[in-house]
Amino acid sequence: MNPASLIPTADTLTAHWGWFQFLLMLTFPLHLFAMNAMLGTALSAFICHVLPERPYRELSHELSKALPFMVAFTINLGVAPLLFVNVLYGHLLYTSTVLMGLFWLAVVPLLIIAYYLAYIYDFSYIKLGSLAVYVVLAVLLLLMSVGFIFSNNMTMMISPASWLRWFATPDGTLLNLADPALLPRYLHIMTGSLAVGGLCVALYSSTVLKLDSSLVKAGTRLGMQLFTWLTALQVLVGTWFLLTLPGEVMKRFMGNNMFSTGLLVTGILLAVATIITGYKRKVMATLLLTIPLIYVMSFIRDSVRTGYLVPYFDMTKVPANMQWSPLVFFLMTLVLGLVVIVWMLSKLPVFRKS
Amino acid sequence: MNYPVWYVPTFGGGVLIALVAIIHVFVSHFAVGGGLYLVMTEWKGIREQDQSIIVFVQKHTKFFLLLTMVFGGLTGVAIWFIISLIHPAATSLLIHTFVFGWAAEWVFFLVEIVALFIYFYTFGRMDDHTHQTIGWIYFGAAWMSLFLINGIIDFMLTPGTWLANHNFWDGFFNPTFWPSLFFRSFMSFMLAGCYGFITATFLEAGQTRHKMIRYSGIWALISLALSVPAGWWYISVLPEKARGLVGGVSPTIARAATVAAVSLAVLTGVVILLILLNPKKARTRVLTVIVMVAAMGYMGAFEWTREAARRPYVINDVMYSNGILKEEVEQITQKGFLKTAKWVQNIEVTKDNQLEAGRELFLHQCFACHTVGGFNNDIIGRTKNMSYGAMQKYLATIHEKRYFMPPLVGNVAELKALAAYIAAGLHKKPLTEDAVAVGDRGKNLFDNNCAPCHAAGVLKPKMAGWSKEKIRTSLDILPALNPAMPDYSAPTADKNAMSGYLHSLNNIGSAAAPPKEQGAALFEDNCAPCHGFDVLKPKVSGWSKAKIRAALDKLSALNPGMPDYTGAAAEKDSLADYMVKQAGGAK
Ligand code: HEC
Repeated sequence: MNPASLIPTADTLTAHWGWFQFLLMLTFPLHLFAMNAMLGTALSAFICHVLPERPYRELSHELSKALPFMVAFTINLGVAPLLFVNVLYGHLLYTSTVLMGLFWLAVVPLLIIAYYLAYIYDFSYIKLGSLAVYVVLAVLLLLMSVGFIFSNNMTMMISPASWLRWFATPDGTLLNLADPALLPRYLHIMTGSLAVGGLCVALYSSTVLKLDSSLVKAGTRLGMQLFTWLTALQVLVGTWFLLTLPGEVMKRFMGNNMFSTGLLVTGILLAVATIITGYKRKVMATLLLTIPLIYVMSFIRDSVRTGYLVPYFDMTKVPANMQWSPLVFFLMTLVLGLVVIVWMLSKLPVFRKS
Repeated sequence: MNYPVWYVPTFGGGVLIALVAIIHVFVSHFAVGGGLYLVMTEWKGIREQDQSIIVFVQKHTKFFLLLTMVFGGLTGVAIWFIISLIHPAATSLLIHTFVFGWAAEWVFFLVEIVALFIYFYTFGRMDDHTHQTIGWIYFGAAWMSLFLINGIIDFMLTPGTWLANHNFWDGFFNPTFWPSLFFRSFMSFMLAGCYGFITATFLEAGQTRHKMIRYSGIWALISLALSVPAGWWYISVLPEKARGLVGGVSPTIARAATVAAVSLAVLTGVVILLILLNPKKARTRVLTVIVMVAAMGYMGAFEWTREAARRPYVINDVMYSNGILKEEVEQITQKGFLKTAKWVQNIEVTKDNQLEAGRELFLHQCFACHTVGGFNNDIIGRTKNMSYGAMQKYLATIHEKRYFMPPLVGNVAELKALAAYIAAGLHKKPLTEDAVAVGDRGKNLFDNNCAPCHAAGVLKPKMAGWSKEKIRTSLDILPALNPAMPDYSAPTADKNAMSGYLHSLNNIGSAAAPPKEQGAALFEDNCAPCHGFDVLKPKVSGWSKAKIRAALDKLSALNPGMPDYTGAAAEKDSLADYMVKQAGGAK
């Protein structure tokens, strides 16, 4: 059986595909930032428990207060890109979702448990005593397992050849483990996330916690060390990932596709630059390089997906039936929402004092 | 057909959706109404300069935050995940049609999160006016989320003029939009009052506790009262078919209506009790639990009815629950389902693959609503009275007879394959075509089921002197007669026919008369699918033949769940004959 014959028909779009692609590529990196900060905060808090010096203990307490916010925003900012992925790739995504239904549904209870544990870690930090370290470790592991489930779905949806397994196993227990690129891909994104998360901790320590210099020092050191070492490790993991990609996809980044190759070169250059600034513990400079780096990486990721799908699907061919008014309504809502958010933030006591 | 199916035989996705949806609705409506409750109650505290009220609001906000933001937010994501898993085609259609509605809803979700965090963390650290404004922003954003989701959910039941023009706004502001928005808003305020009890019971006894309970109770009661006319309005704008289902044609909706009525009564009663009396803490807790359960019953029944009222569609008049588009039906019937579907292995029905092909048809067309041996709407239980022939007849008019089920989409060979899968694959029944054949039916059945182990001649002496009733009874308990014998799990009519045949072995000339046989066969084909005669017997015992015959002319008037009998008058006569004899009624 030819796997291409299994691919469901894509539904008609209600706007030019470019709009959805634009919105996807705009919002997905935002989700990544929040997700990175969340994982980095959890990891750093965990490490702080293990380190003996006093500032680290206080630092973990401070981080515990930030963690629930990160979880909330990671989830919220994940909804938007997932929506746009649904629009552009829904027919592929839902298929692989059915194949791994049980795991996909598990995302929700895993997140609920992680989220409540994060609140317990925050609200009951003192009461927990020596248990706190296990709670935050559980949060970290739960969140990382959610990431693993997402990696499976995101890779299975672009590999129709793996879908034939459904006929023998229709009970929603399939994963994409046979794909040689799965593990390096997952490790690549986790290493990157934890690195950027370290950077966020350094940023948080050097700005929000600026009143206590020992905390600032401890947080900045820990965060920047995490960032630098993990990014250095990333050079290896990233190369491994690149080499496990199917030949045609890999070649896109080796000259077959100038745009993708340019992205990869830019990404590597930016990464090397951040390793240098990170090593020198320059938080702001590293941040300014990392923001574009994450956008570049998101585009690389998108190019990988396009590469995988070349034999199967071309989003530019999906019929569209343009309706402007809902799009305008959304854009107006977005602007209004952002204005209201900024206004509310401006009323916060922290911003009013300064 | 376009998508694979998540297939766990004993477990239907429908129940999972209903379960998560009811939980989510119960929390997410609180997230809306509770927003209003918080600002209004805070305002009361500010106005009356009563610090204890402010403390109450702050406590309640923490509970609210933990419940709505974590649990409410994630169960919302859960519904999205589940429907894309159970109804991928419908989810895709909804997402594509309303993508910017969802996207706007996401913006409000973001505003909600920021506003709620600020509201909670700045109690006492912000001037009253700004704090109240933040609270109002929260409520506004939460209500707008309801507004947007409401449009999309109602679209599924009443797509309205969208059907003709596919215009976003026509689909969004569909016929049930406004009544449903009112109903849901009142529901959300009602829930806010109920949840208010929870925090209130944790207050120390004394002035404030009862004050807050009374205050919450009045909230709940007024909103509840307003929700009733809104619900009525909602039902009155339903399209005719859906109103028929709500009016009793659908058995599951009839059950839901009972739940709603009981919950409403209990809810009103207990809330009034809580307002009037000032029960002790422990009693208040018990009563609060009852309130919450009743409120959940009321909301759950509404949601269940709304979901069930669009059956057999997942999007009314557009897509059936099994993902088949209404507009495709004709074309698929011509070409054959298996040829058109993507996720099937058997393209053409042959003698060898009949059962496998039937299984694929079942998977793609029936499994959306029926489990196989599971606890919800189990197909095995529902078809135990049907023979292969009866099953075929049933499938040919399944949608016409039982509106809440989609038509079987496919060609004749496919229909037979599905019937074969159910009759032979699931029930191990013989695949003999002649359900309506008279005369030798009993012998045929005997030959197919018993003769492989013992010929009629061997049995004959053993049954000498047995009455027909005795033979009939023994057919129900074969393993008890001899442990080596398997159960004969055949429809009642088959057993009757066979016992008639067996009896005739020793009593030449007494085989069942053809007219009676015809009535039995008709009963089996047309009635037994829903109720075997054993169920009916107590109801019609003592009825005259004329009365039964008259009833056969107006079945749907007797019970809106029953389709009218469309056969010829002669058929009705023999049916009535059969029934009156079976029931032992007067001639
Ligand atoms: C839209 C959902 C839905 C689909 C799809 C569906 N059914 Fe049903 N079916 C129901 C409901 C609801 C009942 C009645 C449940 C009750 O009585 O509580 C039912 C009842 C039945 C019964 C019992 C007799 C009766 O009429 O009540 C049979 C037999 C049956 N279905 C067969 C099928 C077959 C075969 C298919 C596939 C071609 C199918 N159904 C598809 C919802 C569905």
